[in-house]
Amino acid sequence: MENVIEIKNLTKSYGKARGIIDVSLQVKKGDIFGFLGPNGAGKSTTIRSMLGFLRPNAGTVTILGMDSRKDHEKILKKVGYMPSEAWFYDTMRVSEVIRYAADIRGMDCSEEAGILCERLKMDTRKKIKELSLGNRKKVSIVCAMQHKPDIFIFDEPTSGLDPLMQRTFFELIREYTDKGATCLLSTHVLSEVNRYCRSAAIMREGRLTMLDSPAIDEDAFIRFYEDEEETV
Amino acid sequence: MRSVLLRELKQNMKLLLIWTLAVGGMGFYCILLYQSMQGEMKEMADMFSNMGAFSDAFGMSTLSIATLPGFFATEVGTIHGLGSGMFAALVSIGILSKEEDRHTGEFLLALPLSRNKVVTAKALCVLVMLVIFTVVCGLFYLGGIACLDAEFSGSDLFTYLVRQFLMNAEIAGICFLISAISSRIKMGLGLGLAMMFYAFDLIGRVVPDLKDYLFIGPYSYANASEIFSGEDTPVASLCLAATLLAVSIIGAYACYNRRDLQS
Repeated sequence: MENVIEIKNLTKSYGKARGIIDVSLQVKKGDIFGFLGPNGAGKSTTIRSMLGFLRPNAGTVTILGMDSRKDHEKILKKVGYMPSEAWFYDTMRVSEVIRYAADIRGMDCSEEAGILCERLKMDTRKKIKELSLGNRKKVSIVCAMQHKPDIFIFDEPTSGLDPLMQRTFFELIREYTDKGATCLLSTHVLSEVNRYCRSAAIMREGRLTMLDSPAIDEDAFIRFYEDEEETV
Repeated sequence: MRSVLLRELKQNMKLLLIWTLAVGGMGFYCILLYQSMQGEMKEMADMFSNMGAFSDAFGMSTLSIATLPGFFATEVGTIHGLGSGMFAALVSIGILSKEEDRHTGEFLLALPLSRNKVVTAKALCVLVMLVIFTVVCGLFYLGGIACLDAEFSGSDLFTYLVRQFLMNAEIAGICFLISAISSRIKMGLGLGLAMMFYAFDLIGRVVPDLKDYLFIGPYSYANASEIFSGEDTPVASLCLAATLLAVSIIGAYACYNRRDLQS
């Protein structure tokens, strides 16, 4: 099966501070890829480098066969990204934010957006500043999914979502991946990876290790966090 | 890009409305005041024109405050010069950096837009705002002048407004560059810069040793007294302004494209 995401020797440092070191990974088409690691391990840095928010010091990122720097705009057309913190323009209404994201994509996504809003039980008339974190996360999910992208990149998507919405969210991911989409899911919730992912990698102190299977024993996972010297 | 431009314009509409009405309205009111003060002006004009460096600084040594052009240059010129400079700084100083300051940068830049397009849309927004501000203020001043039965050169007013617009664009350009470099809204710095440029021009006209360096500041070529008294076009100053504006805009594109986005 073809690789839709291919990262080779990606390094990003913030001055003297560590970012990520020599990260390489491949995600295959149709996969739900679990990207595990403790806070500050470098998961967000990897994702932000992939999407062009950060300029890596070394390495290459290829998404859907395109170079992440040269074909940045083309790649973003086919990607749905949900950042770890869902921030939008405070004065806009939910419906305006969703339409704004679709307008910039040059698409009419009203039908899909309507379906997603209904499943996520969203009140689109509310202003962003009136929303809780969980509800802002839902807006973020709609903005990432409404254009039916080929690749989803989620950075800690379930924090702030209630259990029912978490279930709906993963049902949606499954439905899209069944239709051929690919998902990179960054999280530090082991159960999400065990339950939903088909392959996984774990990051610690800026370095990435591919896992043989996403089914990881919880004790082993905790030991991984605790023992910083141990290599996986 | 069109969507970003329209959203920016909508978001800045209140700021535009407040500043245009405040500056234009004050100018309009000042012009109308001329009629009621006309009789008492003659003695005041003599006094103001003989106050040495102070008269030079406010242009009252070259233009009589008793005439409408002189009154306009000293009173409305000060209000518009300072007000428009502050408005230009306010509009542009946070236009790029606010995305990071308010944590909306990831949402915007995860959409299929190159950073160049974001910078272009935001720069266009600043340009449109400055054009509307200048045109509406100009209409206020024309309205005020039309209410009075006095001689006034339309071409001088046009030249004045065009040069003020360039001055605003220069200040906005510098602030735009700061906005592209910074990840925080530097409102104080923007307003401080506009006021510093104004003060530099004012001091430069009072202190003889500074006169040779006056052309550096953006207020030097937009001085109402010089324009209404028909002084020669300050070519060096205008060329420097155009160069600074171009460098600021190119610099903003280069910096915004190269730097890491704060989350």
